[in-house]
Amino acid sequence: MNPRRIVAVARRIALGFRRDHRSLALLLVAPLVVLTLVGLVWGTTAETIPNVVFATDRSNLPAPIATRLSDAMTRVTAVHGHVATFDEGMAALRDGSADAVVWFQGSALHVTIEGSDPLRSGSIGGAVQKALVEAVSALGAGGGDSCSATGAGGFQCVGVALGMSVTAPNIQIERLYGSDDYTLLDYLAPVLIAFFAFFFIFLLSAVSFLRERTSGTLERLMATPLRRGELVVGYLAGFSIFALLQAVVIIAFTVFVLKVHYTGNLATIFIVEAVMVIGAVSLGLLVSAAARNELQAVQFVPIVLLPQVFLSGLLIPVQQLPDYLRPISAVLPLTYANEALKAVMIKGAAISDTLVLRDLGVLVLFGAIVAAGAIASIRREVA
Amino acid sequence: MKFQDAIAVRARGVRKRFGTVDALNGLDLEVRRGEIYGLLGPNGSGKTTFIRCVAGLVRVDAGTITLLGVSPRQAVAAGRIGYMTQAAALYADLSVDENLAFFARLQDVPDTATRIEETLRTVELLDRRRSIVSTLSGGLRTRLSLAAALLHRPELLLLDEPTVGIDPVLRREFWTHFRELASRGVTMLVSSHVMDEASRCDRLGLIRAGRVLAEGTAPELIARAGARDLESAFLALDSAPAAGAIG
Repeated sequence: MNPRRIVAVARRIALGFRRDHRSLALLLVAPLVVLTLVGLVWGTTAETIPNVVFATDRSNLPAPIATRLSDAMTRVTAVHGHVATFDEGMAALRDGSADAVVWFQGSALHVTIEGSDPLRSGSIGGAVQKALVEAVSALGAGGGDSCSATGAGGFQCVGVALGMSVTAPNIQIERLYGSDDYTLLDYLAPVLIAFFAFFFIFLLSAVSFLRERTSGTLERLMATPLRRGELVVGYLAGFSIFALLQAVVIIAFTVFVLKVHYTGNLATIFIVEAVMVIGAVSLGLLVSAAARNELQAVQFVPIVLLPQVFLSGLLIPVQQLPDYLRPISAVLPLTYANEALKAVMIKGAAISDTLVLRDLGVLVLFGAIVAAGAIASIRREVA
Repeated sequence: MKFQDAIAVRARGVRKRFGTVDALNGLDLEVRRGEIYGLLGPNGSGKTTFIRCVAGLVRVDAGTITLLGVSPRQAVAAGRIGYMTQAAALYADLSVDENLAFFARLQDVPDTATRIEETLRTVELLDRRRSIVSTLSGGLRTRLSLAAALLHRPELLLLDEPTVGIDPVLRREFWTHFRELASRGVTMLVSSHVMDEASRCDRLGLIRAGRVLAEGTAPELIARAGARDLESAFLALDSAPAAGAIG
């Protein structure tokens, strides 16, 4: 080995970097941006306090105790407690305004949780237990008259009335969606399907359209009667065929090979994914305008995808993100794809469901805006 | 009106600036119908920029360009322009036939199969029609590039250094094709810095710093410069401090 030649090669690479400011910036700045994002998401994620409905009509406590206890539950810090009927509570659970419905029956504390998100589900049982202890303690401190109906007094009277230990109650957790035999994969499959489909088709379309620019064929095309809009829509159509094929393969593999549980309609899952990948193709075309070569196009992958990994509900539920990150989350297409696919696959939502329709609408709007941007990015300056 | 019809390309005071560089600096030029007009100039003189303006790919900052009586974009949209880019600009993963079929569809070429066959015969590429472009030599790709520009029988052919990098035999063949096309009434605007090529044009415009420095037939330019050949004339005129157009 000749050290001079080795140094010459290394020097050549250094010189290249010196003139490729974008690569250098990506190398040095991108990790800091990503680490900042990780810090913001995981370092300051708010411990979201669950909304719990205390269903008095289902509880078999003596009325005065039930009233005092439910009243105390609304004042605890571990949960945001509300008092309502069981039916009202379940309705709130379905529309997402409540995280759990709680009632006492026999000697058990029954907790029905929404259940579509394992991360959120895991914390709710503990929060409810904490709230119960907090509420009962408050009652105990409040004096003995609260248990006058039972003849017992203060803190102990509640335990007597409940027929259980208030510090280690028998908690029965049920789920509105999902079930105990669901694995983590069952819960993550909807977001993973969306992410992988988005990632591959975005990368493919970005590099492909870039090749059109760098090889000179785009210039040649623009000297024909072909209009920019026709070119972009043609590209969308061509790539969408393969994107849809990819969607079919991913969904079939997830459902039939990985045996992921799903409750919704397969066709609805496909439609959501199809709309999303068409947006991904548009984004690829738009991004290719900002790159001068394939290396630069690849550099856009982390810029476009990493925020979506952290902020679209893929790793952390959007509801648990700090408030100042939610506006970013709200403009990311994967946020809506994740939400819709979770709704369909875990909650069994139909395409006519308001949430699914809204998410599909946002994805269509995203695709249209980005496609318009892609058309504008083809700088055919009309003479 | 009759005079206007006789002019295929009319450029008046065309200016184009890229950043701090004046690529075209008040360029005036007229190309008559059916003639082969050569844009002759050193690298960076504005030849390609002007051809891109004529092809409707670059918007001029000032001045006007009229092609066949209409704007460049109108001429392009009507399929009246053929443009052969400097690089072959073809789809390397498609076959020769597939490339031409694609461009034929974009240009609404009638009876595509027959037209492709005719064009391939013209550029002597018929026996390679099923070849994938990535397997073709540079010369064959240039032939295919020309075929793609000719396929829809344009009235005006823009050729940006069409024979750069190809051997003298193929260059001669190309000029035979160009001459045949001109005899059929096709106007050609050819950019070049190859003197052999320039001498084959009906008229030449010598461009420097985005302006036409001198214009005329090859013998006129030689006479004007008092040179023995076109290359000497080009060097003499190019180094002259200022010059008016002739011819």
